[in-house]
Amino acid sequence: MVRALDLKLIRDLWRMRGQAVAIAIVLAAASATFILSMGVHRSLFETREVYYSQNNFGDVFASMTRAPRSIVARVAEIEGVQRAEGSIVQYAILDYPDRVEAVRALLQSFDEYGRNRLNLVTLKSGRMPAPGQPGEVVVDEAFALANNVRLGDEVDAIIYGRKQRLEIVGVGLAPNYINALAPGDIVPDESRFGIFWIGREALEAATDRTEAINTLTVTLQRGVSEADVIRAIDRITEPFGGTGAYGRDNHPSHMFLQSELDQLEAMVQVFPPVFLIVSTFLVYIVLGRMIRTQRSQIGLLKAFGYSDLSIAWHFLKFALAVTVLASILGAIAGIWMAREMTELYARHYHFPILQFSFAPSVFVGAALLAAFSSGLGAISGIWKAVRLTPAVAMSPPPPPVYRSGAVEALGQKAGFTAIGHMIVRHIARWPGRSAITVSGVALSIGLLFSTLHFIDASHFMLESYFFRSQRQDISITFTEPRNNDVIHELRQIPGVLRVEPVRGLSVEMSHGNRVERTALEATPPDAILTARIDEKGELVAMPRGGLMLSKQLADQLGVSAGEDVHVAMLGGRRTEAMMPVGALVDEFIGARAYANDQTIAELARDGAPVGSAMMLIDPLYREQILTKLKAMPVTLSIGDRDLEMSRFEAMIDENINTMMAFYIGFASAIAVGVVYNSSRILFSERAHELATLRVLGYHRSEVAVVLIGENALLVAVSVPTGLIVGHWLAQFMVMMFSSDLFRLPFAPTNATYAKSAIIVLVAALLTSVLVARRVMGLDMVRVLKARD
Amino acid sequence: MEASVPPRPDAAADSAFLGRDLTKIYVSGETEVHALRGVDFEIRKGEVLVLLGPSGSGKSTWLNVVGGLDRPTSGTLQYDGTELTTLDERDLTRFRRANIGFIFQFYNLIPSLTAEENVRLVTDIATDPMPAAQALELVGLADRRHHFPAQLSGGEQQRVAVARAIAKQPGVLLCDEPTGALDSSTGVRVLETLAKTNHELNTTVLIITHNVGIAGMADRVYHFLDGQIARIESNSHKIAPAEISW
Repeated sequence: MVRALDLKLIRDLWRMRGQAVAIAIVLAAASATFILSMGVHRSLFETREVYYSQNNFGDVFASMTRAPRSIVARVAEIEGVQRAEGSIVQYAILDYPDRVEAVRALLQSFDEYGRNRLNLVTLKSGRMPAPGQPGEVVVDEAFALANNVRLGDEVDAIIYGRKQRLEIVGVGLAPNYINALAPGDIVPDESRFGIFWIGREALEAATDRTEAINTLTVTLQRGVSEADVIRAIDRITEPFGGTGAYGRDNHPSHMFLQSELDQLEAMVQVFPPVFLIVSTFLVYIVLGRMIRTQRSQIGLLKAFGYSDLSIAWHFLKFALAVTVLASILGAIAGIWMAREMTELYARHYHFPILQFSFAPSVFVGAALLAAFSSGLGAISGIWKAVRLTPAVAMSPPPPPVYRSGAVEALGQKAGFTAIGHMIVRHIARWPGRSAITVSGVALSIGLLFSTLHFIDASHFMLESYFFRSQRQDISITFTEPRNNDVIHELRQIPGVLRVEPVRGLSVEMSHGNRVERTALEATPPDAILTARIDEKGELVAMPRGGLMLSKQLADQLGVSAGEDVHVAMLGGRRTEAMMPVGALVDEFIGARAYANDQTIAELARDGAPVGSAMMLIDPLYREQILTKLKAMPVTLSIGDRDLEMSRFEAMIDENINTMMAFYIGFASAIAVGVVYNSSRILFSERAHELATLRVLGYHRSEVAVVLIGENALLVAVSVPTGLIVGHWLAQFMVMMFSSDLFRLPFAPTNATYAKSAIIVLVAALLTSVLVARRVMGLDMVRVLKARD
Repeated sequence: MEASVPPRPDAAADSAFLGRDLTKIYVSGETEVHALRGVDFEIRKGEVLVLLGPSGSGKSTWLNVVGGLDRPTSGTLQYDGTELTTLDERDLTRFRRANIGFIFQFYNLIPSLTAEENVRLVTDIATDPMPAAQALELVGLADRRHHFPAQLSGGEQQRVAVARAIAKQPGVLLCDEPTGALDSSTGVRVLETLAKTNHELNTTVLIITHNVGIAGMADRVYHFLDGQIARIESNSHKIAPAEISW
């Protein structure tokens, strides 16, 4: 048997279903974004942790030019090291005769006798290469899928300048290549770059490195200082061209994934709170209004002997009912979105299996947050209901008192009509509620603005990187530093219009107690193919002496222009120097350092090695040039600017469009929820006045102006407010989403201002009109019979 | 106003309203309420008509139908030769806007507008209104024009309502219990204003009341009972509102 009071609750809910649903949708958006971010974060994080531990992902990694295998045993003896393994990695160019663009592979050796324990390969199909079969390889799954590679396929590879035929015997993946980026690339491209696992003996033979290694992977014992072990490893590898050991934090694959996890965490901090705040406000105004209209009923219930507690609980249940609905809607939307997102991640990150895992705690957390925010909104109304004494409650509430005020003078000066006065004075009479409407709609505009700004920021970054700073058609990275001869050689190729060398050194920079590894690059003084462009698109000149640091790197080092940094070469002659920072450049991608040719030559002391070259070509010769470059033994990788750019654009579009659809929907939901509720309250408060106007001979459309006019005025105030909020939110998000890998610029386009305002305006207007249509059904006679 | 229907031949030239066989049935759930059961009447221009009758006798329904707030279920109703029952919602609104002034028991002032602005609500949309200030002067509230309803007494509020009703110089004033919420001296002031309007502007005044005394100031009195006009009384001797015993 349902208690009478609960029946009342059910009927109140049914009567106010529109408003209850409108609040529930905003609250559901909070739950959904919470579930999305937390759920995907958790799925990704847990999948990674399981994968790392099952496949023994290393803790510390080191590279060197070439070291005898015997150093592995020395490294294993370092205190705190659990296990050490050495291997060879070698880039190779794959020869697909029917493909013009260069396809590259990173050959990663492994022990064909099964003695490897670290960075284990998980086979998806086929088998590992057998001992004594030098041509057998396992390819990574993404490459296999992107290039339609099947077991038994063969491909010619140019390894260490020699052509060798490879047979694919398996498809697999490993935790050190969850995200595999080709050298010189900024976006993963699995169709042009793959990881090939090949037997150790086979790779030793192919690269003339018998019983030698060039990489180390180490796992640590629990509680060991990583820094101590890194120092110890560096001492051992130094004589063999060691470029310095590093932990997971600097491991490229791990770093990429970690930045994604950080972004998901950032999302949790931005989106759900906005929705929660708005829902709290909505519950506050809707329940507050409901309690005001039920004043005499509350008095009656109290007179009958219902306790304050049971009345408080009765109204709290209203808020909780909305929460339950919101939690269900939010869970459905959240699961759906989280699955979409996880699928997206599964395409970019190579895990044995990545699925959205249903973590009950995430759902419970979302529901608790929703309950907390609607409960918070309910408190003030409930408190008022509790404080009413029966006698006071049963007498009609005092009429709203209007007085002449500041608004008054304004209205008189502006020559308002009586209707105009009604609109403006009502806003002034209920400043709190008006402020809630304004801030709700403003938040919705802000959210939309900051979301749309993501597209702007990405495109600006793209534009800045590809159109302004990179003007070459093709870039070529060499297997090892060359001298200027290679540049002359490139210039001889028919169709090559210009070649500019890029000299680069791997360095470790330190300032105070901060240390960063980076590439120090130099281009000739007359270079035109690469330029250092700052945030505003201006060219930044290379300082005569000293370094130019990207702002990102300067921030990481905590250094500003005019200060000195300590620069130590990694590998090579290992020279060290204190160098002044001459200028900073605001770049979006990477954290790099630049210097002029001479500075690099002084530091390197060996005529400044050419690591890569930028080329301008005649498009008619494109195929011939690419074919020629592919065949050169010095070629490590070939970058094609147009291809990279379209690849980058595709990645942005794919990732962002999905999210964009979600957030446009959510932002509109806020606008609809806020405007719907404030319109409904406005309508119920003013029904009596509106009916009076109808009786006096006002047409329905003229009466609707009172409703729509108030909303229109509030929404008009929301637009500039919303754009300010949007600016702030966008800047906050740009900050939260920037990682060591790239930095998003704050660069909103005019279209973003217009779109975010227009979408919300349309949503608000439609909602307002929907409610104003109630004027059609206004029963003049009944309304006038009742005393207001 | 748009005359969409030609005057019926039997309409007397000096009649304001002419009703024939008006019925109004409210359907609420499964029950039907016959609020008006075939009412015939003729209201003359410039007369003061008082409607008496117990609650539920149909007088309010009749007043709403006459005022264009509600439609009869059947029958015909003409105002100044125009058939009202066939007008659509828009034209019915135009009819009210042009011809009818309403005064209610609970004033129905807009709380966010001052006395003068409440009057301006009507003068803003009327064709040939008197200035709002003049209407307030007529009801003796010229000095209270910038006050909000909450700053006025009940009687003052009702006089603002009267000013609002007469400002557009309507053909008809419809008053539903205009003194129901007022004490006797305030009530008399309101009735005096109505009588003055009737006298000076030749406005037809229809008053619903429970106060039998008010019948003394009428030209004619309709006695409603069970949805019909049971009896019509004509006053040979109209008395002034001040003489009405409360």
